[in-house]
Formats: sequence, structure tokens, C-alpha cells
Amino acid sequence: MGEAIVITSGKGGVGKTTTSANIGTALALQGKNICLVDTDIGLRNLDVVMGLENRIIYDLVDAAEGRCRVQQALIKDKRFDCLHLLPAAQTKDKSALNPEQMKQVVEELKPDYDYIIIDCPAGIEQGYKNAVSGADQAVVVTTPDTSAVRDADRIVGLLEQEELAAPKLVINRVRSHLSNYGDTLDVDDVVSTLAIDLLGMIVDDEEVLKAAHKGEPIAMNPNSRASIGYRNIARRILGESVPLMSIEGKKGFFAKMKSMLGLKA
Amino acid sequence: MKTGSSKNLVTIKGTKEGLTIILDDQCSFDDLKVELKDKMARDKQVFSSGPEVEVLVDAGYRYVNEEHEKVITDLLEEAQAIKVKEFHSEVITKEEAKRQREEDALTAVTQIIRSGQVVSVRGDILLLGDVNPGGAIEATGNVYILGTLKGTARAGLEGNLQTVVSASVMEPNQISISDVLFYAPDRYEKKQSGPLFDEPVYAYIATPEKEISFEKTRLLNQFKTE
Repeated sequence: MGEAIVITSGKGGVGKTTTSANIGTALALQGKNICLVDTDIGLRNLDVVMGLENRIIYDLVDAAEGRCRVQQALIKDKRFDCLHLLPAAQTKDKSALNPEQMKQVVEELKPDYDYIIIDCPAGIEQGYKNAVSGADQAVVVTTPDTSAVRDADRIVGLLEQEELAAPKLVINRVRSHLSNYGDTLDVDDVVSTLAIDLLGMIVDDEEVLKAAHKGEPIAMNPNSRASIGYRNIARRILGESVPLMSIEGKKGFFAKMKSMLGLKA
Repeated sequence: MKTGSSKNLVTIKGTKEGLTIILDDQCSFDDLKVELKDKMARDKQVFSSGPEVEVLVDAGYRYVNEEHEKVITDLLEEAQAIKVKEFHSEVITKEEAKRQREEDALTAVTQIIRSGQVVSVRGDILLLGDVNPGGAIEATGNVYILGTLKGTARAGLEGNLQTVVSASVMEPNQISISDVLFYAPDRYEKKQSGPLFDEPVYAYIATPEKEISFEKTRLLNQFKTE
């Protein structure tokens, strides 16, 4: 019996879809059976990030309303046999689905998969309610900005009212050089404000954008630091204990000397 | 003790503060009205001139509702010099008693008040947790926070100026006590972010400026006994 994890954030543009795609891919790399569900009806993106947009025939709303079986709407990933995507409808809007239908679809998927990753739309309205209704666990994505953290805080408050396990936190786009100067929030500030468990953090990496453009999740690329971050998150979801990686990256000789002398690197 | 109509239903007593009018609490209200009318008619010349006298009305164990209060006040104030200052009764309604109990109570809440959440109580509130930016904590009495106040706190919601907002770590967006407001200094003016003080403090209304000031929490006993 699988577990359904909703990836949510409140604020738009912090990387919910990227995180969903990459956690899904990283879990598939570990050989787990994964189903990605895009609930952003009307503004679907997950298929594009996964490079599967050409293969969509049926979608979530078709499956929920019984125009097709749930299995018919699933798209098998190009790279993995154990990774499937249930795409959102593009021609409808969020009101085309209700929480009851969503719950039913997720229940139908659970026996066939180890994890069902639900990509939640931005906002706290109907789309959010749909996405959360089917989930057992929640992952809150935020970036180290005041506004993103504020919205994440709101979402954590709302999630606490649901019958879910305590939400976990992913901090996306962590920048090393800026946080040193106190110009943005640092990871500790974010964690202490939200007061929930940190599942992982992803360093800001241009490779993520390039990979999304190609329709290939960054988690596939073993040389990127963002990819390692996602793979670590996947391992933590599977119950391994993996230490947080340093956001500083590899330091050059001079940077090391400077930090030894107490100067800002 | 005399009983029946022979007893004086209305007694007027002079005290240091002025006059106290003691009303019998066993007779019917109508009898009381008649007696009061008589008395006022008889003593009219005594009260009709001279300086204004403030009067306290003591109704004993009689429950006096607003309507009765008005009837008695009107009767008394027929004499121009009399000004009814206060009604005193040993009896209150259950509703009033419940309200008073709430006002005196301290409610303990264990949670993190997150953005968009508002926790509001009657009386005092003790929060075991933080108030995050965008969240609000409100009380008609005092607000005590064992944690960090980063959001909004409102004490003395119904106008009590003697209330305080106390927090272990004071880093608020906004504090209000009764109708006096305090905004935190802008993030850019402040040289660095972080708490306003490096120890627990409470916010109170400083007189006579009527502005919100802060003082160390360990000095709160001085404020309370003032």
C-alpha cells in the first residue's frame, strides 16, 4: 500500500513542480514505484518538466469523472518503467475536481505504487484543498525569502488542521554567498520560524533551469549539487539518515585561508 | 428589626464621599417606588437648592436591572441637587458572573500561531509557543508569551489601559494596548534584524505620553502594584 505525499508551498514560483518531478525521479532511481499526480488543473506544468507533454491522452479530470479508467490516464516515463505521471487537465479549471473525487483517485493508485507524489497548485483555495485531501503526508517547499516563508507559515498552519502527519520542509534555491552577508534569510532563520522538520535543502543551481528546459529532471544528472540534494531528500523519505550537505560548496585554497583567518569568504 | 410598612424602606445616610441611599431589599419594587416618591416630595426643599450632591445607591440583595436603575435614578434626580453616581448591589446575573470569571481567568494556549491565524480570548492569555509574522494574539486582559513574538499582539481589547504584552523574545510587527499602537521600526531602518531587546520585556502604556514603552519583564511587579 503506497503513501501519498503532497508537495505544497502557498506561494507560486518557489519550485513545487520542480521539487515534485525531482523527488519522484530520485525515488524512481532508488527502484521505487512512483506515481506523480499533477493537480494544477488549467495550468499544468509537471508534464513539461518531465518531458511527457506529447503523450497525454486522458487526464486527472477524465479519470475522476469516470470518462476513463485511472490506469488509462497514466503516462509511463521515458526513462523509468517504475515512474508514472497522472497529468492535470489543461482545458478546465480547479472547480472541475472536488476533494472526494481526488481522494478516490489516490486510493485507486495506492495499491500499485510505493509513493504517490501530488504536485499542489499555488494558493490556498479549491486547488490546494483538492491536492491535500488525498494526501497522507505533506512536504512544504519554500525559498529563503521573507514572503515565501510567510506563505509557507500560512500553509503549515492550514496543514496542521488536516489529518496529516506533521509536514516536512524543503528549502529551495539556497544561495551560499548571499546568506553569509545577512542579506537574505539563512536556513536557520527559516527553520526556526516554521518550526517543522527540515527534509532537505537544494542549492541554487542554474543547471536546474537548463534541465527543466530540456524536459529532463535535474535528479538524473549525478554531477549537479541540486541533484545530490534531491537524491538525499529521496533517501530521507525512505527512512535513511543522511547528513545535510554543506551549502558552501568546494572552497578554493584562498577561500579556505581567508576563512581560517576569520575573513568573509 | 421592624417589618412591614412601618419600616423605613428608604434610608438616607451621609458619608465622607457624599450621600448613600440605602434601599430595602425585601419589599416589592412598587412599594419602594412609592416610598421613594414620598420621601423625595417631603425632602424636596432640602435637595432642591445648594451644591450638587453625588449619591451612591445601595440596593442590598435586590437585583437591579437597567430598567429599575433608570426608574430610581429619575425619581432621585427630580431633586436638582442630586446626581446619582453609582449603583451598588450584592446580586448579579449568572451571565454577568460568567463574564467576570472570564475576565479574571488566565487561558493557557500551546501552539505556534502562524501567518493568518488569530487566537483571541477573554481575560489573560498565556501562550506557550511563538507568534509568527502575520499571526495575531488578542486578549481583553494581558498577553504573556513564552516564546518569540514576531507577529501582532493586542492586549486590553475592550479598552483596559492597565494591561501589558510580555514576551520572552520581543520582535513584533505590531503591538496594541487598548487603542494605542506600536509599529516595529522598519526592517531597513533597523541596522540588523532580530529581537528589539536581548532579554524578556513587556510592553505597556507609559503615562502621561500615552505611548507604548518597554520594560524588563522582571520589573513587571512594579507595574502591577502601581
